[in-house]
Amino acid sequence: MTNATSVSNAAPKKKKRGSSLDSKKARAGWVFVLPFVIGLIIIYIPIIFDSIRYSFNKIKILQGGGYSLEFVGWANYQEALFVDPSFVQTLSQGITQILFDIPAIVVFSLFMAVLLNQKMFGRAAFRAIFFIPVILNTGLVARIDEGNQLLEYMEDTSDSIETGTENSSVTEIVSLTDVTWLFQTMRFGTGLVEYVTQMINNIYGIINRSGVQMLIFLSGLQSISPAIYESCSIDGATTWETFWKITFPMVSPMILTCAVYTVIDNFTAASNRVMTYISDVYNQAGGNVVSSAMSWIYFLIVMVLVGVVAGVVSGFVFYQRRD
Amino acid sequence: MDNAKSSGTKVLKETKNKIRVDFERTSKWERFKIKYFNGAFFAHVVFVLFRTVFLIGISYVILYPFFAKISSSFMSREDFVDVTVKLIPRNPTLDTYRAIIRDNYYVQALINTTILSVFCGVVQTIICTIIGYGFAKFKFKGNSILFMIVIFTLIVPHETLQLSMFMKFRYFDILGIFKLLGGGVIPGLKVIPFTSINLNNSYWPLAILSLTGLAFRNGLYIFMMRQFFKGFPNELEESAYIDGYSVYKTFSRIIIPNSFTMMITIFLFAFSWQWTDDFYTEVFFTTEGMKLMPDVVAVPKSLDTQYAGQNLYVSAIRNTCGLMIIAPLIVVYLIGQNFLVQGIERSGLTAD
Repeated sequence: MTNATSVSNAAPKKKKRGSSLDSKKARAGWVFVLPFVIGLIIIYIPIIFDSIRYSFNKIKILQGGGYSLEFVGWANYQEALFVDPSFVQTLSQGITQILFDIPAIVVFSLFMAVLLNQKMFGRAAFRAIFFIPVILNTGLVARIDEGNQLLEYMEDTSDSIETGTENSSVTEIVSLTDVTWLFQTMRFGTGLVEYVTQMINNIYGIINRSGVQMLIFLSGLQSISPAIYESCSIDGATTWETFWKITFPMVSPMILTCAVYTVIDNFTAASNRVMTYISDVYNQAGGNVVSSAMSWIYFLIVMVLVGVVAGVVSGFVFYQRRD
Repeated sequence: MDNAKSSGTKVLKETKNKIRVDFERTSKWERFKIKYFNGAFFAHVVFVLFRTVFLIGISYVILYPFFAKISSSFMSREDFVDVTVKLIPRNPTLDTYRAIIRDNYYVQALINTTILSVFCGVVQTIICTIIGYGFAKFKFKGNSILFMIVIFTLIVPHETLQLSMFMKFRYFDILGIFKLLGGGVIPGLKVIPFTSINLNNSYWPLAILSLTGLAFRNGLYIFMMRQFFKGFPNELEESAYIDGYSVYKTFSRIIIPNSFTMMITIFLFAFSWQWTDDFYTEVFFTTEGMKLMPDVVAVPKSLDTQYAGQNLYVSAIRNTCGLMIIAPLIVVYLIGQNFLVQGIERSGLTAD
């Protein structure tokens, strides 16, 4: 806009018809994003600002309508970090768990996308099944599934029928003791073995959280030209080599996208431990401002982590040169 | 020809242009052996077997909870005490369903949620398409900064904004204008008799958020739409401009019809995530107000749960509630899943 006026001021004789195509298009661009800009100004920025403000205040709802704020400085943050008995613990546990889950989710979704991208019998059916969790296991359903006794009971195939006692243990696909025994003589770190077993036993959770990532990888795989694969097979490369030399580098930008998406998705999921804790605090009497403070602390950590993950992963990304 | 002669093959007939040679064909068994008894084929078979077993296994992991939930929803109270009953109910009953429909305002919640989700889904799809197109195809000052803000809205956990979002719509006011007009500094100037409007317990908060592209995960939809439109050839629009179409007419006549698949994908996401949403509905709707899906998840009053199998029974009832909530979604998914995969595949999502 300013550009257009300056141009017409500088050369009024040349462009009498008004604005150039570029500035016209720029104006059209603003019109297209206008809904978001309006929302940003009247809703989002005030909300963000209020949220920060509330975290430094105590809030009181007045009887005649309206509310009053009392400035308390860092007291809410202090309460979250030092007074609250389990916030710091929940925070550190939640973050560690998510950090461990990220590689598992990214690797799993890449693997599944590669499998689902192959031509085979029943591909459409498998795809339909694999994307069920994206649509169905969210929000309310995810909340019902948390600590679901019914599923634990149903999956429990132990000898409860013979002994007649109800076995409440959570089922394991792979028993940790068995695996440790198996790998005892090999030179694997027990930590790694434990991690892998944990991931396998948690496969349901991982599948549930890798739907969108699978879709992203699938779209990435589709965009690789078949000609490259053809020339590879003519040159005698095996499938394994083709995967590591062609597929993997070509989808590596997707790995960045997926890693960042996974971090965001897991950290902002309502079923996540820290989130549940924060909303519990929110529902306590007078806890709403403290929960605001807590979620700002949490948000800062998430931002730092997104930065770290993006930084680490982007070091490995290969960008195809586009001329 | 030379080859054939040298190896001693009989030449049957030789004309000017053609030569018919009787090759000694290797026997069927030999050919069969060469084709199938080698390492590559063996590896292929093993791989296909592994793949099939693996895919079926994972499908089982995904589908099993649904089977378990469906079967348990038909179980009667006695079945939860009986340890010999696992997947197949011994005394099948529809009591749980009946009680939920009767006591938990299921029909009301279904109607309200349908209105809300269809409205939000359609509005979010249209708005995100428009915004995404703006970001993808127009160069203007602040384009990239605004887009960064879109991504920022995706990153901020919504719990962070829970309180202020509630307050915003409890005491709704556009940039303090109502307060200014209704505050009554000069008594004669009181145009509006209130300082703010309470929008909670109505469809308004979600409608406003949807209309401005700020609702649940709208940043993701805008991102997907932007990537999708970036893959559109510019020539398409340029030829339309040359034919005398305006930017807006091009958008409505050429771009929208060409991006239908992607829009259906976005609609599916928006619709189903709004349907199962429990965050916004709980912030904006009190339990006394309008009945929505989160209100359905409760143990119906008419079911007596005070007995030995209590925990399992309550859990089964909650799961039945969940099943009833997603039942309409399953139908939508079965119709729309093809669009979902196609839309994503064509979007060409990339990191740049």
